[in-house]
Amino acid sequence: MSAYRPSYFIFALGGAFIFAPTTRAKPVDFSREIQPILSDKCYPCHGPDAAARKSGLRLDRRIEAFAGGKSGLVAIAPGRPEESELIARIFSHDSEEVMPAADSNNPLTTAQKNLLRRWVAEGAAWGEHWAYVAPVRPIVPPVIESAGAVNPIDAFILTRLAAEHLTPSPAADRATLLRRVCFDLTGLPPTLRETEFFLHDPHPEAYARLVERLLASPHYGERWARPWLDAARYSDSNGYSGDAPRQMWKYRDWVVSALNQDLPYNEFVIEQLAGDLLPQPTLAQKIATGFNRNTQINQEGGIDPEQFRIEAVMDRVATFGSTFLGLTLNCAQCHDHKFDALPQKDYFRVYAFFNNTVDDGHGENIPGGRLSFASENGPADNLIADLAQVRADFTTFLAPSPADFPAWLAQTTPESRAKFSPSVANALALPWAKQTLNQRRALFLTFGGANAQFTALHEKLTELEKLEAKATTALVMVELPQPRESVVFIKGDFTRPGEQVTPGTPGILPPLSAPPSRPPNRLDLARWLFDPAHPLTARVMVNRIWQQYFGSGLVETENDYGSQGSPPTHPELLDWLATEFVAQNWSIKAIHRLIVTSATYQRASVARPDLALADPLNQLLARQNRLRLDAELVRDAALTASGLLVPKIGGPPVFPPQPDGVMNLGQNRRAWTASTGTDRHRRALYTHHWRATPHSAIAVFDAPDGFSACTRRLRSNTPLQALTLLNDLQFFEFAGALAARVHREGGDDDNARLDYAFRLCVARSPTAAERTRLLELLRELRTPTLGPVGEPAATLHEAWTTIARILLNLDETITRA
Amino acid sequence: MTPRPTADAALPYDPASRRHFFSRCAMGLGSIALASMLDRSRLHAAIAPGPLTDPMAPQSPHFAPRAKNIIYLFMAGGPSQLDLFDYKPRLISLNGQPIPESFIAGKRFAFMDSSHGTKLLGTRRSFAQYGQGGAWVSDLFPHTAGIINDISLVKSCAADLFNHAPAKLFMNTGSGQFGRPSMGSWITYGLGSEAQNLPGFVVLQSGPRGPRGGAVNWGPGFLPTTYQGVPFRGNGDPILNLANPEGISAHRQRQAIDAIRDLNLQQAVATGDAEIHTRIAAYEMASRMQSSAPELVDLSGESEATRKLYGVEQDTPSFARNCLLARRLVERGSRFVQLYHTNWDSHGGPGENLEIDFVARCREVDQAQAALVTDLKQRGLLKDTLVVWGGEFGRTPMGENRDTTGRNHHIDAFTMWFAGGGTQAGAVIGETDELGFNSITDRAHVHDIHATILHLLGLDHKKLTFRFQGRDFRLTDVHGRVIQKLLA
Repeated sequence: MSAYRPSYFIFALGGAFIFAPTTRAKPVDFSREIQPILSDKCYPCHGPDAAARKSGLRLDRRIEAFAGGKSGLVAIAPGRPEESELIARIFSHDSEEVMPAADSNNPLTTAQKNLLRRWVAEGAAWGEHWAYVAPVRPIVPPVIESAGAVNPIDAFILTRLAAEHLTPSPAADRATLLRRVCFDLTGLPPTLRETEFFLHDPHPEAYARLVERLLASPHYGERWARPWLDAARYSDSNGYSGDAPRQMWKYRDWVVSALNQDLPYNEFVIEQLAGDLLPQPTLAQKIATGFNRNTQINQEGGIDPEQFRIEAVMDRVATFGSTFLGLTLNCAQCHDHKFDALPQKDYFRVYAFFNNTVDDGHGENIPGGRLSFASENGPADNLIADLAQVRADFTTFLAPSPADFPAWLAQTTPESRAKFSPSVANALALPWAKQTLNQRRALFLTFGGANAQFTALHEKLTELEKLEAKATTALVMVELPQPRESVVFIKGDFTRPGEQVTPGTPGILPPLSAPPSRPPNRLDLARWLFDPAHPLTARVMVNRIWQQYFGSGLVETENDYGSQGSPPTHPELLDWLATEFVAQNWSIKAIHRLIVTSATYQRASVARPDLALADPLNQLLARQNRLRLDAELVRDAALTASGLLVPKIGGPPVFPPQPDGVMNLGQNRRAWTASTGTDRHRRALYTHHWRATPHSAIAVFDAPDGFSACTRRLRSNTPLQALTLLNDLQFFEFAGALAARVHREGGDDDNARLDYAFRLCVARSPTAAERTRLLELLRELRTPTLGPVGEPAATLHEAWTTIARILLNLDETITRA
Repeated sequence: MTPRPTADAALPYDPASRRHFFSRCAMGLGSIALASMLDRSRLHAAIAPGPLTDPMAPQSPHFAPRAKNIIYLFMAGGPSQLDLFDYKPRLISLNGQPIPESFIAGKRFAFMDSSHGTKLLGTRRSFAQYGQGGAWVSDLFPHTAGIINDISLVKSCAADLFNHAPAKLFMNTGSGQFGRPSMGSWITYGLGSEAQNLPGFVVLQSGPRGPRGGAVNWGPGFLPTTYQGVPFRGNGDPILNLANPEGISAHRQRQAIDAIRDLNLQQAVATGDAEIHTRIAAYEMASRMQSSAPELVDLSGESEATRKLYGVEQDTPSFARNCLLARRLVERGSRFVQLYHTNWDSHGGPGENLEIDFVARCREVDQAQAALVTDLKQRGLLKDTLVVWGGEFGRTPMGENRDTTGRNHHIDAFTMWFAGGGTQAGAVIGETDELGFNSITDRAHVHDIHATILHLLGLDHKKLTFRFQGRDFRLTDVHGRVIQKLLA
């Protein structure tokens, strides 16, 4: 079923589909047509938020909506719009009466009013919001194979297109398809060898085989790690004020490796949410929990660490909501959710799962929360244990206030204190009892005089700290032995504790099952996501995968499946994919294979005048979409074409050159010493990410900032991007290398070289017009110019560097068509 | 930002450019619903979209604006209003006394468990009254005192968050949560920019370091990246990658850009993708920036008198140079220019001393900020340009338990000033209690300040919305009221 077919005939036979005719006017669909209107226009005052509810009227639940509010009038009388107060009020011309109220700035359109009236007239059929009902595997519509259906995806897409009297586009040409699928599965353009091989591979399974090669490539994991890391708000720095560096790359590498191994999605998620709570967790499973340690850490002086510990917990809840549930849980942080039945208490019950870890909100003293590795491969168990022991001994030794502490204070004056290091000066301002171990150490060192026991402990700890500073580390989740109490914060304000809560899942979703012997924990929460009755987990993930392939998801609002979200364009397809994901044992690669082998995926992306009118947003997918490459891939594509790419997988972050000045924009001027040697030419996935001062060539192409979960990237198109590709020193370096490569490998004459350069950049030969234009330019460049802009002839390398710059700047080069 | 490229005329179908518009402004946005955006009334209550190819094209505001541009002088770290504008004789007389418990009961402060002090600290500066409104200004701001009739002080400003990075985020985005757009992004999203060859939202930086938090302060949040602030460098070319690579002449660069355009046009024809036309326009704009940005920062055309007025010394980076650049930017149509001057965090202690370091900060900004207002006025630009001055919070009436004189972060009452752009000239708005702890009249919360700034630009803060995660978000969240007394 996954055969590649040159399916030009799809277009030719487009009119020959056999479908059941759908001429009869369909009844109004509550879930897709009515509820979105009620949600957007009515729920703000008549929805789930009890505090905001007006006139006692609630329209998000059938029983209350049909009953009406305090007025005693019937809001909705099924079948009798003329007796329904809701209908009367929305059509009212009285500015006091009309709903939505004039001051809400949120009026109904005439079409919406008429739809509501028709719905009531038809009997006001009510239903549960689609996203809260578990998907049921739909029947794949029968589409005759000659219509071009390769797999069930096509059956759903073609059925809908036929209903709209639209014909699908033909398959993309082979070179376009090759480049598309290489970028989509590995994030890299096809190698010349692959291009030669595939374009001339006569085997009927040639495309399917290509797909298998790409899925098996270690670069697959790098490509698909990136959107996951966006959601995980991965960064190599702490954010907030100081933006100090942190080591999290072990987690990044875990994601790459787990994807390459096709770790089933349920295990992939459970290990990230709760790997530490699995029985006898492996080192890898502990590292996976870094997902929830990608929160920012505020190391600013003068903070209340508890406030920022709580901020991190709230960030975990928001991330959990958008990444796994596709729900805006965070909207219920300060009050009941305005649109979905998510009471504030439900928010804090989810919060309670994440509220029990050891991190302190200030980035300090996290016993067990930071793994140390003596080498890149093994944990430094001894180092961690030794450090803990020596710190404990030292703490005991320094616990009692030294008898001469008052004397130390007495021998300083405000003036003399200023001369001490800030740490000593700050420590002197505190009573002994409030000082940290390091402050006491600093004071003892300065004033304590000779003390054999102190010296021994100090030297031992210093030595271990040096080892630790050199060690590779990773932040991980660790539970406190004694659970922290969780409460509702009134209006989301942590200084206003309210009712106590226990860990639990939102009431609109299936109940959580946990052993009765203990309170539910993060592991139970993670497993709950994979409850067969769960309506969201599979849909949300297949939709995010789909979005990468077509630019937009089947549910366009990929992080909001609630009543304010967009209903799916192809609900049956979404549910079929979601159930297929489960049936394939949550294999992520199986979903990729399914999508990229579909005819729908393989269609040409060329715009069509008829579609521009009928489906301007291309939601029906009669054709593919052209998509600009993601930020990292813009670099990777140029690196690959130039032949400079160092394809090493994993390891500590690297520092490819960037213009001076970028690092001046944060509070602390962090050094950016450009990597030399092979690290200069690694994939952008490995570029060190500073939250406050992101690498300029990544930020300019819409890479997310790492401050909060990002489940979909923007695609902007700006002059600053043009300046980057034209002038950035590293892109110029790539152009020079591409020129040299073309010269070295591309043949003896300009024609052959141009051909070679095109194939490296866009996997095709130039058109006659392109060839003429660039050969002419080459001649121009090689000829001295006279007059005011007089310039000597370019050397061969200079001339070809210009050609290389042009090619690396082409829209086509940074676009997957 | 750019005129439509001629190639656009070849676009045969309006829906194609409509799709194009959405692909620019909407596709790929967090969770914006494209279908719902086809209903334009939802996009932008009363704002008609400009040319579809350019999201930075000037847009009509909701109502007649009083200001067209903003220059925001952000005093990063939080300057002490009690040593500059908010004169409190009672605080001086109570110097060294504990603050009455009634002021601080239940309050939270930065440095709660260490240096946070409870003893009142009277200012050691001398104050005098200036101008028609009798505004008090300390001896640290003599030049600012000289323009007092052109500016209005708001002494009753209030914020919510008292640590630097969250407070800066709050002052810039109206929220302490990450992911919200900054003020400059909202404004360029709402109004576009008149600048033909320069970014519409520019960030200038002076002082020893950047503002805490860095990029998030001018980030676009969930708005398209097009609306993010463009930080200028203090040295060399203002915009990253502005200069051609070494060895590439202007002529060679033009040859390359022309060839890129021609090849891109061929692709546009072959694919029908209107996005390619935007890219062609972006390259043309980039090319124009390459000549206009160096011209912008070349101050040799400014008269000696002007340079003296600002106190610009040659081309060394400074707040003074940035003030002059800000004027040049708004002259050229940039919508929002934000200047950060750092290190106002006067806790006492090394480098943070109210006696030495704070005084130095004042000297660094006083002359230039006054010159900016004077210069804008002389050139007739002040009526269209709103100048805003302030930090992310102010300082406490209490001193701190540090080695030298300093004050802690204070969010309950602090001073900002405004000039031009339809604001009153010479007014003093809001009074604080006798210790300067709380405002007692005309409390102006950050949300109110945001509402007022948008109002002056002709934008209704309740209508400038963007739908994300199923909700229409605003700069002012669900708060904000226009500070009527500030309006001319």
